[in-house]
Amino acid sequence: MRDLSPISRCLGFACILAVLVAGCGKGEGNAGGGGGEGTEGGTLRVGAALSLTGSLAKEGRLTKLGYQFCQDKVNDAGGVSAGDKKYKLAITYKDDKSEPDTAAQLVDQFNDSGSKLILGPYGSPSTEAASAVIERNGQVMVDSSGADNAIFAKGYRNTFAVLSPATSYLAAIVQAISENANPKPKTVAIISADDGFSKTAAKGGEAEAQKQGMTVVAKEEVAEHTTNVSSALTKIRPKKPDLILVSAHVEEGIAAVKQSNELGVKPKGFGETVAPPTPDFVKALGKQAEGVVGSTQWTPDSEGQDKIFGTAKDYAQGFKERFGETAEYHSAEAAAACLALALGVEKAGSTDPAKVRDAIAGLETESFFGPIKFDDTGKNADKPMSAIQIQDGMPVTIFPADQAQAKLQWPAG
Amino acid sequence: MTQFLQATVNGLLDGGLLALVAVGFSLVWGVMNIVNLAHGAFVLIGAYIGWKLDSSAGIPPLLAMFVAAAALLGVGYLVQRYLINLVVNAPIWMTLLLTFGLSLVLVNGLVLLFTGDFRSIPTSYGSDGLTLGDVRIPYGRLIAFAIAIAFTLGLVWFMDRTRLGLAIKATGMDRGAARLMGVKVRRVYGLTFGIAAGLAGAAGAIYGTVDTFSPADAGGFTLQSFVIAVLGGLGNMWGALAGGLLLGVVQAWSGQYLGGTLINAVAFAVLVTVLIVRPAGLLGKPYYEARVEV
Repeated sequence: MRDLSPISRCLGFACILAVLVAGCGKGEGNAGGGGGEGTEGGTLRVGAALSLTGSLAKEGRLTKLGYQFCQDKVNDAGGVSAGDKKYKLAITYKDDKSEPDTAAQLVDQFNDSGSKLILGPYGSPSTEAASAVIERNGQVMVDSSGADNAIFAKGYRNTFAVLSPATSYLAAIVQAISENANPKPKTVAIISADDGFSKTAAKGGEAEAQKQGMTVVAKEEVAEHTTNVSSALTKIRPKKPDLILVSAHVEEGIAAVKQSNELGVKPKGFGETVAPPTPDFVKALGKQAEGVVGSTQWTPDSEGQDKIFGTAKDYAQGFKERFGETAEYHSAEAAAACLALALGVEKAGSTDPAKVRDAIAGLETESFFGPIKFDDTGKNADKPMSAIQIQDGMPVTIFPADQAQAKLQWPAG
Repeated sequence: MTQFLQATVNGLLDGGLLALVAVGFSLVWGVMNIVNLAHGAFVLIGAYIGWKLDSSAGIPPLLAMFVAAAALLGVGYLVQRYLINLVVNAPIWMTLLLTFGLSLVLVNGLVLLFTGDFRSIPTSYGSDGLTLGDVRIPYGRLIAFAIAIAFTLGLVWFMDRTRLGLAIKATGMDRGAARLMGVKVRRVYGLTFGIAAGLAGAAGAIYGTVDTFSPADAGGFTLQSFVIAVLGGLGNMWGALAGGLLLGVVQAWSGQYLGGTLINAVAFAVLVTVLIVRPAGLLGKPYYEARVEV
């Protein structure tokens, strides 16, 4: 008979290691320790399922930094007031492995352990999955990064998003270019990833381009998270568009610019939804990134201020001091979501989820992130979107005009 | 016609690199009967070695790929000797479990070391290309293709013309007979796994010059390797090359004529079709099923 003991030992070792490493994100930042109630011993427990591993680990990490920064700032200011009580904010993180189903399960687990107040996971698919569970359980979620309009078309009452909706991502780029480019682009090609957020953003961009008198000469879809968009570019090349718009994530955005150069596709400029403001974009593309226009939920030049973070510039400075990294919009929208939740609890004067829900629904305030005021569907519909352009290796704000640091360079690059 | 030619060129260039990504996976599966689910993680480690050497020490990727290959060869040898060897005779699910666990450890280790950021290795020629008529051939992908083909052909030569290569093939066909002929099977297995990991490392460093990568890509590399190995025929180096080129061209054509979102569906449809018509793969021989395990 074969001796299996070394095999068992080895497998046991491998499994333990795997579980340890895969599970290393779980429970991080649980400042309040164990326990299961939403409030306990002067601590307000808030749950957050985040993409700490998997394909969205990068964005998940940035979101976590925003939540952490908010927790620190709120607690430095004495915590969250609810009636005559003060609570320390304690956010518990669990790793959803970048899987929407897991995010929904984790939100359910938070409910089982008494956490009724939730900060959103990263991205539209996970937020959409979580929002159904939130509604069923009577929890309240402030969404920091799920922008797809589909999330807000289901009639849910307990999910609120601080960010501008998906339709405004590409539309803001088209407006920025249309207002400032000379000569104004006449023809546009649109490449979109095949996920809900990107498709919705592409539709918004197409409608805005037509409104601005541009002709959409090509519309191509690519698989989400692909790094090969050469087929789409090969089809677009003979149409010679003035402007190529890319509604996608970071890796597709980088691939579109890189492979356009490889294949000799030379529009007067590129506009991309998510990738350009992220540091990876310039790092990966180097000089090829020059001139690419991107949309962003927030810049350090955004207008407004609040009592926790101050102005957008104060936020950027504080973030840099706390983490040693330049503040960008994924973290800022996370911090803004956390701020909205804290303000909701204060306004409600209670941690009761139904009261907090009503208080958040009625919030009307300025913040470092811009205005926070939710419409009937839970969208922060009045928040303006900004546009940036990569100039000398840095993203600089070019739109809206009153926040612009520099003029649009056109033709770009 | 121009679009068809351009798509074919794109597919062939990508397919050559895919072949190098997959050839080691096919070698290990064919010779050792191990489906190495950590193969994609080895490719990524090679990419990160290439990136780190370029960004920190200014070592160009064409040199760094040899460092990546040598480092992964050593790592692969040790992993086989002290980890994989323990389950080499165990049922297939146990090897799957072990290599899956190993992949999790490696990928999450990469996240801890390098974060989930997207990286790429910039080159001076990466954004330019050669224009032949209306067809554009990007220099970066052409160089990557040439290196990938050279490595794959080098492996074919090594397997057919050297004593060690023949010993590896012999061990894959009949381990007992090879042992009786004086082949040190344990060492051969270690070297086979090391060579496979080394080739994956080189492929990763080259891949980094033409595309972006992050730790989350490991699963995709393993999946593509699986498809190519089965398409081409297990343990057959020419088969891996044919499988890689076929997969590259099929993906490019389907992206061109059916839309970018159907690429994977078409690739798997081709795989199923090939398996129905030729169950041993394009160039595979049925020895794999009939081989003797002693």
